[in-house]
Amino acid sequence: MEVSEDIKSAKDILQTILKARKTIRMYPENNPIYRKTVEESFSKFEEFFGFKENLGLKIKQNEIFLDTEQIYFSSEKEDNLALFFFKDGLRELTFSRGMSQSELEDFLRIIALDFDREAVDDDVVTLLWEKDFQNIKYVADEAFLLEDEDYEAEAVKEVKSKAPETDEVLKAYAAAFDSEDVREVAIINLTDKDLQALVKEIEKDLHDKTPKIYEILFEMLAQSESAAEYEDIQRLLRDVFSYCVKQGNLKTVVDLMKKTKELADDPSAPEAMRRQMRILLSTVNSPESVKSVGEIFASDVEVDENVLAEYTGFLEKEAISPFMSLLGELESIRGRKIVINILIQLGKKDIQAVARGLQDQRWYLVRNIIYILRHIGDKKAVEYLLSTAKHTDERVRKEAIKTLGELKSPLALQTLKDCLNDADQSIRKSAVKALGNMGSETAKRIILENVSDKDFGNRDFEEKREFYEVLSHWSDAETADFMIKILKKRSFFRKAKNDEDKACAAHCLGLMGNKDSLPVLQKLRDSNNRLLREYAAVAIKKIENAR
Amino acid sequence: MLDKDKEDIEIARNAKDIINQLAVFIRTAHIHDPGNVAVMTAVERFIATINPMIERGNVLTLDLVGEFFYLNESRVRYSMEYLLNFDFLVREFKRRGLGSVTINRKISPEDVQTFLKSFISCSYSGSPFDTLSDEMSKVDSLSVGPLKKIKEEGDVDVKKMVKKTYFNAVSFTKGVINKIKSGERVSLKKAKRVVESMVDMILEEEELLIGMTAIKDYDEYTYNHSVNVSILSVALGQRIGLSRKALTDLGLVALFHDIGKMEIPPEILNKPTNFNDDEWRVIKKHPFWGVRAILRLKGLDYTSVRTAIVAFEHHLNYDMSGYPKISRPLELDFYSKIVSLADQYDAMTSSRVYSRVPMAPDKALSIMLERAGTQLDPLLFKFFINMVGVFPIGTLVLLDTKELGLVYGGNTMFQDRPRVLVIIDSTGNRVKGDVVDLTEKNVSGKYLRTIVKTMDPNKYRINLAEYML
Repeated sequence: MEVSEDIKSAKDILQTILKARKTIRMYPENNPIYRKTVEESFSKFEEFFGFKENLGLKIKQNEIFLDTEQIYFSSEKEDNLALFFFKDGLRELTFSRGMSQSELEDFLRIIALDFDREAVDDDVVTLLWEKDFQNIKYVADEAFLLEDEDYEAEAVKEVKSKAPETDEVLKAYAAAFDSEDVREVAIINLTDKDLQALVKEIEKDLHDKTPKIYEILFEMLAQSESAAEYEDIQRLLRDVFSYCVKQGNLKTVVDLMKKTKELADDPSAPEAMRRQMRILLSTVNSPESVKSVGEIFASDVEVDENVLAEYTGFLEKEAISPFMSLLGELESIRGRKIVINILIQLGKKDIQAVARGLQDQRWYLVRNIIYILRHIGDKKAVEYLLSTAKHTDERVRKEAIKTLGELKSPLALQTLKDCLNDADQSIRKSAVKALGNMGSETAKRIILENVSDKDFGNRDFEEKREFYEVLSHWSDAETADFMIKILKKRSFFRKAKNDEDKACAAHCLGLMGNKDSLPVLQKLRDSNNRLLREYAAVAIKKIENAR
Repeated sequence: MLDKDKEDIEIARNAKDIINQLAVFIRTAHIHDPGNVAVMTAVERFIATINPMIERGNVLTLDLVGEFFYLNESRVRYSMEYLLNFDFLVREFKRRGLGSVTINRKISPEDVQTFLKSFISCSYSGSPFDTLSDEMSKVDSLSVGPLKKIKEEGDVDVKKMVKKTYFNAVSFTKGVINKIKSGERVSLKKAKRVVESMVDMILEEEELLIGMTAIKDYDEYTYNHSVNVSILSVALGQRIGLSRKALTDLGLVALFHDIGKMEIPPEILNKPTNFNDDEWRVIKKHPFWGVRAILRLKGLDYTSVRTAIVAFEHHLNYDMSGYPKISRPLELDFYSKIVSLADQYDAMTSSRVYSRVPMAPDKALSIMLERAGTQLDPLLFKFFINMVGVFPIGTLVLLDTKELGLVYGGNTMFQDRPRVLVIIDSTGNRVKGDVVDLTEKNVSGKYLRTIVKTMDPNKYRINLAEYML
């Protein structure tokens, strides 16, 4: 092989590595593009190993060399492969024939890590070391770890200066023949039982260590004596708390909070300590904490319902705003459901804080907040909700109307009344249902008035039926009389529309189970209008069955 | 190429099973006749593992180098469950001077029978390896090679590397402690790199690095002690089969176990006389201060949490009789138990301001033996004593040849037969640095040298470290 070919091939490999680095950052490992990139990179190496045993790269700050030939250069601070290796002390990198595809993939995954953005605790050399590659070797310069370059020489000098004189050694030799005995330390043989016990110990050691560290901190707290010490431990516990949250272990977080609460509520504990514990408890409400908890909800980690309920119990109204921000950001349905349930519990402590979210520009968030307010079930929310019934997004308006109906506040009547005449039929339907839910006399009157309006008859049959169906909820004499009157109404003009109204009234009476209406319904069963005939027949059946 | 990769992976995966099976049938054959059903079942299992690999065109060579087996030049790492069988096989190979077994074609039960019979009978001959080798020349599929001497003595480069690793670690520790003292936020990334170097050295050159722990510079006591405890902990961790990653964690945890001491006023820490009650109260606070110092490091992670736990617990004692006093008993962390052992051993064998004359290593070990089960974990102590040996590195010994020497390296199989650096020859002259192996025998099978007496090296200010530098 020509030297130039050698260089060309190595350059090609580096370009492939750079490309693979980008691809691996972008795609999950089961993605076909990811897989193809790894395979391509591997085949480049295979090609090289076809004619050479090793690919040895020398690394400088901005350059990578193959022997003395520069094969890579970049003066950039970011995305500079040479600098990426160089800054952690990596000086040589050798790939050898025999390298497997999985080894290469592991290597590519290491160099694809974004050390600036991701929470990586180790540098690139440590990650390579941990992988213990068989066919990828490196040389790292450890000099930058040294605090004092002359330390070794000075320490050796120091030790040697303390070496005994020859006389001392000879004195020891002379004394060796005195009466001093061999000091026996018994040989202790290891048994299978020892090994089994050790295996158990090692298995036990895999348990989470965070509960232990906060146990220790509480122990230290109990032995502290000054306010400054309490505060100091509180800060450390707060860091441990954040760490637990970041670890995604909600159970540990809850246990830590329980312990904190016990102390905060303990009247025998010094007030200064209890104050610090109350401060610690408030940590759970911070935006950072909520954001980290959100990561647990967004992940696949199973969250136990009881643990979640306990966690929610520690939250205060200060957490409402961070949770609403989180709700707007979460993409997973599961995560949003969890946050909504938390806000339903938490929102009871401050409706106004929840209602602030109704001003958000994102329609879906507003809709979620209306849902939350409905489930909180506090009538105080109505004043904030009224304006949302006029929201620009139809989905939000429907949710608001439904909620206004369920909250049953007279304050909502006018808004719902207005909605009965909305240009959008689905809104009108939602509004009538909401009024039906309210179940008040005023609500009934509003619907009756609406139905009695001369233009109401022109509406679509389905819509009219919806209105009449809602009226059946009242099941009182006034409603029944109103319906029977419609059934008896004679009309020569707009007969078809009139028959539709009668069919709706029959439907309503059937749902009410009103037996007084049977004679008139019997008559309509023979009507020329098929729709009316059918509705009358069904209504009669319902009334008779109700008997 | 890919097939070859797969094959290598397959061989590596089977390596520990091959060694284990070999140990099982040799062990069984020691009890029963080699033709016994139990032996033959084990032999068949061995053949079933080996032959498919041979059929695929492989030659398998099992080498014993030092205390480790290598299969086709790859060091065989094993888990705890295999430890006893591995140790047994190392001992049996060494007893016969056997260094390698090569299988180059498919083996039959008869081939293995011949090997077994020869292996057992040769141990009664004056030169076991030669006898075994003669017998095995009749078998085509199996051949054996002699035990090679490891060349660590005189290997200047390795010694240099070990020295560099050790002093880098001490220098780094000093730097980190000073930085923390001055309030700087320190990251553990660099510390990990330092410990990784130590772990590598322990995996490759355990005895040399343990030898360096004989450096007990009392002016730099805290830093040397931290590094020594880290080395001894990692060495113990390696003995009990912890992974490389776990060894790094353990090494880091051990390196910072005493970090709380930096807050003890120097006038107390360096007091040449015994501490009074008030001073003791201050000393006993260092586990608290340690936790604080570690948790204040840059970013909490698994290692810092674990380090803080060990900093708190390393004086608590196995039976909770130590300090700090706690309201509810804690279950000691596994690493705390390891670090406590290493800590006590190094502290006892070091000269400190308030105890200028350190203990001889074997005396320290005797005291620790008394404490096993009360202050120290008895199970881990068993492994610890097996690691340092009944004649720990640095012990001054008189041999039956009238030579005086320092124990230089242990021997896991023959704990009373370590390797010894001779400092005075049999004629009473001071000499420099010949390392002799006490397992060496003469042609009639008698040991060339045996320890007849141990002495306190500190009484004569003799320190192994001086000979290693």
